[in-house]
Amino acid sequence: MNEQVRPLIVEQARPPARPPRSPLLARRYTLEIRQQLAWHWQALIIAAALVLGLGISAAILMAAGVPAGELLNEFVILTVFDAQSLKAVLFQAAPMILVGLAGCMAFRAKFWNLGLEGQMIWGAIGATAISLFDIGPQALRLPLMLAAAVLCGLAWALAPVLLKLRLKVNEIISTLMLNYLAINFLLHLLYGSWKDPKSSFPYSPQFQPFERLPELFDGISAAVPLALVVALLALWFLGISRAGLYLRFVDANPRVAGAVGVPVQKMIVGTVLISGAMAGIAGFLVTAGQEGRLTQSFYQGYGFSGILIAFLARNNPVAALVVALLMATLFVAGRSLQVFYQIPFSMVQLIQAILVICVASSDFFIRHRIRRVQGGES
Amino acid sequence: MSSLNAIQLTGVSKSFDGFMALSQADFTAKWGEVHALLGENGAGKSSLMNIAAGLYAPESGSLFIDDNPVRLNGPRDASRYRIGMVHQHFKLVKPFSVAENILLALPEQPGNAVRGSHRQRLRELEQRIREKATELGFAIDPAQITETLSVAEQQRVEILKVLLAGARILILDEPTAVLTDQEAERLLETVRAFARQGAAVILVTHKMSDVKRFADRVTVMRGGRTIQTLDPQAVSVPELVRLTVGESAPSSEYQPAAPGEVRLQVRDLRSTGAGGHGALNGVSLDLRAGEIYGIAGVGGNGQSELANVLMGLPEPCEGTLELAGFGDLRRAGSEQRRELRIAAIPADRYGTALAGELSVAENFGVGQIHSGRYGSFFRLRRKRLEAEAAKAVAGFDVQGVRSLKQKAALLSGGNAQKLVIAREFSRDPQLVLVHSPSRGLDVRASAAVHGRLRAARDGGAAVLVISEDLDEVLALADRIGVMHAGRIVAEFDRPADRQAIGKAMVGNAGASHE
Repeated sequence: MNEQVRPLIVEQARPPARPPRSPLLARRYTLEIRQQLAWHWQALIIAAALVLGLGISAAILMAAGVPAGELLNEFVILTVFDAQSLKAVLFQAAPMILVGLAGCMAFRAKFWNLGLEGQMIWGAIGATAISLFDIGPQALRLPLMLAAAVLCGLAWALAPVLLKLRLKVNEIISTLMLNYLAINFLLHLLYGSWKDPKSSFPYSPQFQPFERLPELFDGISAAVPLALVVALLALWFLGISRAGLYLRFVDANPRVAGAVGVPVQKMIVGTVLISGAMAGIAGFLVTAGQEGRLTQSFYQGYGFSGILIAFLARNNPVAALVVALLMATLFVAGRSLQVFYQIPFSMVQLIQAILVICVASSDFFIRHRIRRVQGGES
Repeated sequence: MSSLNAIQLTGVSKSFDGFMALSQADFTAKWGEVHALLGENGAGKSSLMNIAAGLYAPESGSLFIDDNPVRLNGPRDASRYRIGMVHQHFKLVKPFSVAENILLALPEQPGNAVRGSHRQRLRELEQRIREKATELGFAIDPAQITETLSVAEQQRVEILKVLLAGARILILDEPTAVLTDQEAERLLETVRAFARQGAAVILVTHKMSDVKRFADRVTVMRGGRTIQTLDPQAVSVPELVRLTVGESAPSSEYQPAAPGEVRLQVRDLRSTGAGGHGALNGVSLDLRAGEIYGIAGVGGNGQSELANVLMGLPEPCEGTLELAGFGDLRRAGSEQRRELRIAAIPADRYGTALAGELSVAENFGVGQIHSGRYGSFFRLRRKRLEAEAAKAVAGFDVQGVRSLKQKAALLSGGNAQKLVIAREFSRDPQLVLVHSPSRGLDVRASAAVHGRLRAARDGGAAVLVISEDLDEVLALADRIGVMHAGRIVAEFDRPADRQAIGKAMVGNAGASHE
């Protein structure tokens, strides 16, 4: 087929008196698999990919009618320098941080937890139940609600992890399907026995003031420090405790891990339960912090955001904090774009997707090296 | 053939991520000869041949085929120039049949490619495979699924694949590493006959005996350079070893063992493998403290299953493993096995012993973490772990460690094995379980590994070595059990008769116990 381009017999026998100087073997560029890349180079490549993604997103927003100057205004100046927006961003960031960390945790144990929304919903249902049935004294009400959220989120993650370890049920399917179960149970409650008797809308009765997350100094919600404390715990778990190293082995090669003395099953179960508990806390933060009641759509978008944050942060809890802040900014700015420029909110999801694709493709440059080799055409 | 030289590489250099694998290497193979390329692991043999086969692009250097300068843009090009390479790790699609695998590798031929349905083409190809196989003396059923074939049969498929694609320059990378003595001999005789018909065969190897017996010429490589090309009949084995290693290879004298009480009692292990093949059919043996018990046998006679059972890897099985002073070893989890000071050195280094993506220090330390040696659960004392890892790396002579944070996958085979031994021996083991300890290691590294095993024995440990390499078993073991069809069919005391062991390995044990 390529006879003309590359003849089988190269002309006639022409024995070279001396080897020609130009290296006939060499190609001009080669693609090589990198063995290792210093972490700061990796960070630089990912940062470059993020910048590229933001550039593409900006171009799309401008095409949709947002003036270039306003973009900078909306996304940077107003969100960072305006105290009100900054508060909004931090408030939005708190649950984002939690679902992001929940993603990091589960993925470190090679467990694809796509059930973050279901675990969030159960966390919120648990917290709301404490409020609805007036359990415990007023002073202990919030801690009790938090504990209920942790337990319910954790419980909702227990079934898929046990099914995976015992019966090899694919967790991608089981966690995703359990989301629908959770959503429909939520609707069952909100349209049924938990419906606010004061109105005909499908939401639960308003929480009492002492059941809502207080505002601390400068009007920053208590959700923010709570998220930071959980983040510190995650950092300890993954970075300082023995579990961190165990998990690295589970992630790298479960067979090796089992053979060298890592309690693989315990580690996977424990880590996935922590992931579910974190998602549960996120559900508690959104209900007790933002709405002050259980609504039918409070969880929407968090499941995907959590997976996305964990992915962009490469399952690193510190990076997850930063990415969660970025995502919160995107959400807050997206809402104001919606108001001022009639840009649909799905634009935010489009930008998220662009960022993910850019960072995912940057992986190619982390794993490979394109190298110019000396010489060229013969 | 108008020219004598089949393939010539001159001044070839290649580096990987800063590491010079080849520097200014020269190599020439002539038509009609079997040319051995001899060297230790990491000497650059495979890299050089991968360049000849079009897989790697070198940074400098030239390639001549029939004395014509040639440039290869990939293995397809190489196959156009009739170069075929059989890699050490076979490139077969396991769920495919033999014929399908060969069809995948055949170049598109304008004459016969379009005509007929896939089924017809496959049938024609099967006919050609049968003819070629008969010609070479291979017994191969082209319709068989490749994953059901033995390693030796898979290798034959690889050879048929390149020959049917028209190869006249045949490169074999470590072809005898996975074969028994008899299989290796048959293979090398076949390729020598192929060379005698006018083709060129390049034999990449680190086995001196293959070179001495089957090569017409030998080129020695060391440290990415080609050292010398010579006639193997004109040099002695010690001289060849000196050229490959650079200095006299370490050799060790056998010291008789002083065996003590029975430490591990294996009784009647039975399991059914996939399709009933390779299962255990009642393995029983006694392993005593202070001795090395070697298990010899042709690959696929239950060795892997036995190794898994002994090392506590998942393997459904019946029978008992009685450890003196403890009881049934099969109840012990991997943490408890470590507490019992049981060292396991599995055959599949990166599959069951080391996590290649993690660092040298982590791979060393993980075995002792549960004991609290490196801090409590709440705080891992990384400093202490790294200090001990550094000490072990130096103590066990693990080379190529630029930093303790370096990925374990970057270590060469011999050094990776030394790292495994450093971890497993960090707590003075009482029972050492080893499977193919020097697979893929060069002379020096295997000598170091063997030295460690002997030292463990002399320290009073009970050592069990399972190996498909008879030379290794003969060199190491104080007692040898021969495994055939899932059982120990014969036991030999040292010094053992190689011929008798060979007979027992193929199932002709006359007197089962000597």
